[in-house]
Amino acid sequence: MDRSRGDAGRRPRKRGQGELESQVLEVLSSAPEPVTAGWVQQRLGGELAYTTVMTILSRLLAKQAVSRSRSGRVYLWLAASDAAGLAAIRMRRMLDTESDRDAVLASFVSALPPEDERRLRALLAGSTEERPAAERSAAEREH
Amino acid sequence: MGVFVFLPLILPLTALPIARLAEHHLHPRTAVRLLTWISVSMAVCSSLCLGLLFVVGTAQIPGNPLPDNWSDPEVRAAVPFHEEVGTAAVIVLVTVLTMCSVTLRRHLRIRARAQQALEFVPRDSDLAVLPDGNPYAYAVPGTPGRIVVSTGMIDSLADDERRALVAHERSHLANRHHRYLLATQLASCVNPFLRPLQKAVAYGTERWADEEAAHTVGSRRVTARAVARAALVSQHVPAPGFAAFAAPGPVPRRVAALLSPEAPPETWPPAHSPVGLAAMVAAAGTAASALSALNAAVALLLVLKAATPL
Repeated sequence: MDRSRGDAGRRPRKRGQGELESQVLEVLSSAPEPVTAGWVQQRLGGELAYTTVMTILSRLLAKQAVSRSRSGRVYLWLAASDAAGLAAIRMRRMLDTESDRDAVLASFVSALPPEDERRLRALLAGSTEERPAAERSAAEREH
Repeated sequence: MGVFVFLPLILPLTALPIARLAEHHLHPRTAVRLLTWISVSMAVCSSLCLGLLFVVGTAQIPGNPLPDNWSDPEVRAAVPFHEEVGTAAVIVLVTVLTMCSVTLRRHLRIRARAQQALEFVPRDSDLAVLPDGNPYAYAVPGTPGRIVVSTGMIDSLADDERRALVAHERSHLANRHHRYLLATQLASCVNPFLRPLQKAVAYGTERWADEEAAHTVGSRRVTARAVARAALVSQHVPAPGFAAFAAPGPVPRRVAALLSPEAPPETWPPAHSPVGLAAMVAAAGTAASALSALNAAVALLLVLKAATPL
């Protein structure tokens, strides 16, 4: 415990939670197999205290960015996603909880009532030769 | 003071014709700038008048800062119906301030959360493609602003359509469309009569970005197709109501506008055309609103000065 506090005090500059999470996630996603928190700590250059690494890992676990499995007396950690994946999770959570986000972030398209959908298909059909590739991928996603 | 103090509260109605006509007759850039300007001016005048009525209204609150001889008959004659209106103004002003702060805080919170989400995505490009099957695309303002597109959206568009999508979002960032959106949202919190202007500005910024995207990609048709396809793959919850009888929503109107040969010219419309006339009515309404607010403010200052014993 004492050591960890000492380490924290010697850190060159105060880093944001997010930056540490990102570093840990990067290290973890570069690991070839599920690894221990000690391995992560070592790969980070031993700059962070073991307890700090554990805190960050459990925070990432709560965000479902990593998963863990018990092996004997220790946990083995596995990245569920990389930086883009973590961003996607956070973005998803924001979009799901903020009902008015379209009024703040300019969304490319807004809600489409059924009648508008019909109008839109008519406009598309009347105006353009169809793009087979894009059509196919859209159809695949629907199945 | 008199009835002039109430005029700015209803004068936004003079801007309704231009809010309606701008969509089809003005270039989106002109429309957005004009309507935002009108909206903000009218909102400032409205809140000034509410503030004046609020000062009058506080006369009934013990410990108010108004001079002691405020209740003299002469003062009462100069400030008509101060009791009922004053009380109402106190309630309205508190409501308006609450709504504005809720809107502003929501705006800042959503921006911060979106920026936070992207914090660690490498900044070598302004475009962040996130692995998410749900199709979405947003412009996240900030320094620098960033564009978020999900793989779900990317996968459902053809190459040239993707370029149109990115050009559209870049236009939002480059032209700072978020400022217009926030300004008009706050304005319509101050005075609900400004709500149609806010809707017209929100639609106008999308059209503005569409036009710029069409210019960048070099094809109105490709841009129209990108908008239409993106809307069709986005699984939004349909809005409740009698959709079949509703007027076409923003997306079909945007696509139809892009499929027309060209955007309305950026030149100012002739004064004798309906849209020119509507613009002049709105300008006159804004000027009248400003004059009334100024008149009421000066009148109240004079009354206060006369009532203050020196």
